[in-house]
Amino acid sequence: MLRRRQAFRPFATRGRRTIAGILATFALFSTLTVTVSIWATSGSRHRASVLEVAARQRTLAERYVKDVLLARAGAQADPALTGRLLALSADALLNGGVAPAVNGDDDETLLPPASGVTVRAQLRQERRLVRDLTATGSAVLARRPATAVKLTADERLTARDPVERLRVLSALTSNVSLNAARTIGAEDDRNIGRLIVIEVVLGAIGLLTSLLLAFGLIAATRRQTAHFRSLVTSSTDLVLVFGDGGCRYASESVATMLGHPEDDLLGEGFAGFVHEDDRASVCAAYAHGEPHEIVFRVANEFHEWRHLEAHVTDLRADRQIRGIVLNARDVTERLRLEEELTHQAFHDGLTGLPNRALFRDRLDQSLARSKRSHEGLAVLLLDLDGFKQVNDSLGHDAGDQLLEEVARRFGEVTRPADTLARFGGDEFALLLEGANETQAVAAANRLVRNLSEPIRIAGHELGLGASVGIAMHAGGEAASEELIRHADLAMYAAKEAGRGRHEVFRYDMARELGELLGLEHELRLGLQRGEFSLHYQPEIALDTAAIVGVEALLRWHSPTRGSVPPAEFIPIAEATGLIVPLGEYVLHEACAQTARWLRNAALPEGFVTWTNLSGKQLSAGGVSALVREALEAAELPAGFLGLEVTETALVQEGHAGERARAELQELHELGVRIAVDDFGTGFSSLGQLRSFPVDMIKVDRSFVQGIEHDAKDAAITANLVSLAHALGLLAIAEGIESDGQLTSLRELGCDLAQGFLFARPAPPEEIDRLLAEGSARVSGGREAAA
Amino acid sequence: MPLRLLVLASLALLACSGCGSGGHEAGAVVRVTERDFRISAPRHVRSGDLLLSVRNRGPDAHELIVVREGSRLPLRRDGSTVSEERLEPVIVGTLEPGQPGSSRKLRLHLAPGHYQLFCNMSGHYLGGMHTKLVVG
Repeated sequence: MLRRRQAFRPFATRGRRTIAGILATFALFSTLTVTVSIWATSGSRHRASVLEVAARQRTLAERYVKDVLLARAGAQADPALTGRLLALSADALLNGGVAPAVNGDDDETLLPPASGVTVRAQLRQERRLVRDLTATGSAVLARRPATAVKLTADERLTARDPVERLRVLSALTSNVSLNAARTIGAEDDRNIGRLIVIEVVLGAIGLLTSLLLAFGLIAATRRQTAHFRSLVTSSTDLVLVFGDGGCRYASESVATMLGHPEDDLLGEGFAGFVHEDDRASVCAAYAHGEPHEIVFRVANEFHEWRHLEAHVTDLRADRQIRGIVLNARDVTERLRLEEELTHQAFHDGLTGLPNRALFRDRLDQSLARSKRSHEGLAVLLLDLDGFKQVNDSLGHDAGDQLLEEVARRFGEVTRPADTLARFGGDEFALLLEGANETQAVAAANRLVRNLSEPIRIAGHELGLGASVGIAMHAGGEAASEELIRHADLAMYAAKEAGRGRHEVFRYDMARELGELLGLEHELRLGLQRGEFSLHYQPEIALDTAAIVGVEALLRWHSPTRGSVPPAEFIPIAEATGLIVPLGEYVLHEACAQTARWLRNAALPEGFVTWTNLSGKQLSAGGVSALVREALEAAELPAGFLGLEVTETALVQEGHAGERARAELQELHELGVRIAVDDFGTGFSSLGQLRSFPVDMIKVDRSFVQGIEHDAKDAAITANLVSLAHALGLLAIAEGIESDGQLTSLRELGCDLAQGFLFARPAPPEEIDRLLAEGSARVSGGREAAA
Repeated sequence: MPLRLLVLASLALLACSGCGSGGHEAGAVVRVTERDFRISAPRHVRSGDLLLSVRNRGPDAHELIVVREGSRLPLRRDGSTVSEERLEPVIVGTLEPGQPGSSRKLRLHLAPGHYQLFCNMSGHYLGGMHTKLVVG
């Protein structure tokens, strides 16, 4: 949110508009006030002239009487001029115009017309009285009877003496002139008062408007800030703002997550909580705004490291922020899960030893080093003698305990530089770097000897032996797979030769193992004779207990060997390339059988028959064509067929891997379902899964078996299920044997399940029956349906 | 709302006090109108407390002087105003000049006799601004 300055734009516009409004209001009202003042001042100047002329009338009226008397007495006087001046001035005062100069020491004055009812009435009266005065004056000078003069101003003169009448008229004239002047003065005062009021009102309105706008702006700012604050504080994202002097702002979520009081985080405090190794990059980020993405560790109140993934945005140029903003997320849990799954991918869950994948990786690295240094190395494969019997007689738990103890004992006699791994079952491997044959044999002896001490398990003293196969590499180029296969053959030879022995691989050994060759031969014959068949194990929807699919499993019934488990013949088939025709057989048969069920209308909607696709088959290429051919031959819609692929086959590198993925993608687009088998044992990066055409992931039986009692297995299963759901995939658990496991899986939200608890792998006729019943296992079904 | 109530209440109070004082304390109201150049007033009034309500209709400003003197009034030497100095003993009330349009009040206690009302602004008495009043 901080990053997008767009979000602030409306507010910024409003703010700018309001400020412009305030300025405009000030400008408008200032202009008005000044205009009114100028107008008032000019009016006032005029009024001063008016006042002067008005006051002058009084003197003129008295002078007129004096001039008349002087003129009558024969003295030098010009009453007519004075009378004219009086009349002209009175007229100018009333109607505006030029008031004449009187004494020569003053100028002609231009007067505005009088305004105001009272003033105009008085000036009109003045004009009438002036007329009466001058008329009486003229009569006196002309020695006519003054009483004959017609009076116009409503005066009622009782005196008959013309001089007397003249004096009274003069007094009346000067009196009204004086009062008119006073009225004009009073008017002026009133105008000034009015002006003050107008200016005060204008100022007040301007100020009020500006204040209202300013308060509006402040309120809007507050709202915006509150809005921003609530966004930041309610967000689970952590927001930190840095400026000069360190942290300037930390959202509430930061304090909540770290448990430190906000004050401790501000300033230089925040950097103090950052892990020493990450401090440099964090400081660089908040000082320069780079790098843009950082992951760093911060200590919480319990001194635990929390991993934060932060996006750094340089908003120093943004005037609203003026700092560098870190938008961070707590990724501790995610990293832990990834780490766990990565560890899981490379380690054996039971013993904690590296698994086959990690062993391969270490071996590859050693071989690369060996190529340069020409130092030798040895691969030891160990298989426990008699482990199967322990497992069968004392149970899986005892077997697991035994394996843990064996791993511990092997560990005791292994150098830290060597890699001890568990390949699965009772098979262990040891990589000795820089070892020659003598040292390798010595190591094998140590391992076997350290095992000879009886192991106490479930009240039994167990004596175990191990057969060891040793493959030597003298230096130079070699393939890790080949070395492991050699060690495997040597171990086989050791077992054949009797228990508790070790053998070093020799090239003639393979040939000596006629058994293997014999098996291959019999496999070929078996394929031709049709000794192979498919069994199907139902897959159950955990919420409805309905059968939603089956997994097709290959069975070999040899006339000489009896029923041979897939674990024995599949590796031979893979090694000899027989896996390809076997795979073809499986696909064709599975499609044909499913088509039969479909024709019999026995299949529920969404039913899928899953077949296993081996890695060899995938890398060999042509799977897409093969599957399409099988579907066409059986006239089966693609949606009814599913392919189970191992993780390792899916993430295979190089050209073969790309081709395999492309073929799977093609089939997936056709409608064929894809599942990842043995999920959780091979991926190095979960992110890859997203880019593959996958519908379902299969949680490995090794996790399911521990789900009830082993918290770690339960946690991993839970994570796998939630991961599958997060990626929009179905999760299926295999190998369910107990109700407890079922309950746990239901709680975890697993979608599908298969295992002995519901149904064992069975021939198609048995599946017919189950499909007809609609559910696999009566008790499980009822529970789920209830 | 409370403000309006207050205004109404005070208006009512004012009206009441107005009718009370007008009837009993101030005595009879005598309307006097001044204009250029004439004073209009009743010829006869009853003696006792009087309230002169003087209205100036202009256009000039006018004052009002009440004297207990029935005959012609003496003038000053300027020949245009009445000598108030000589009338001092008989002046019973005066009003300073009022602007046109204004209304003034003058409280008087008049004993029976002959009175005159006049304006003594320059020339106004001689211009005709005087009237006689008989108090009985």
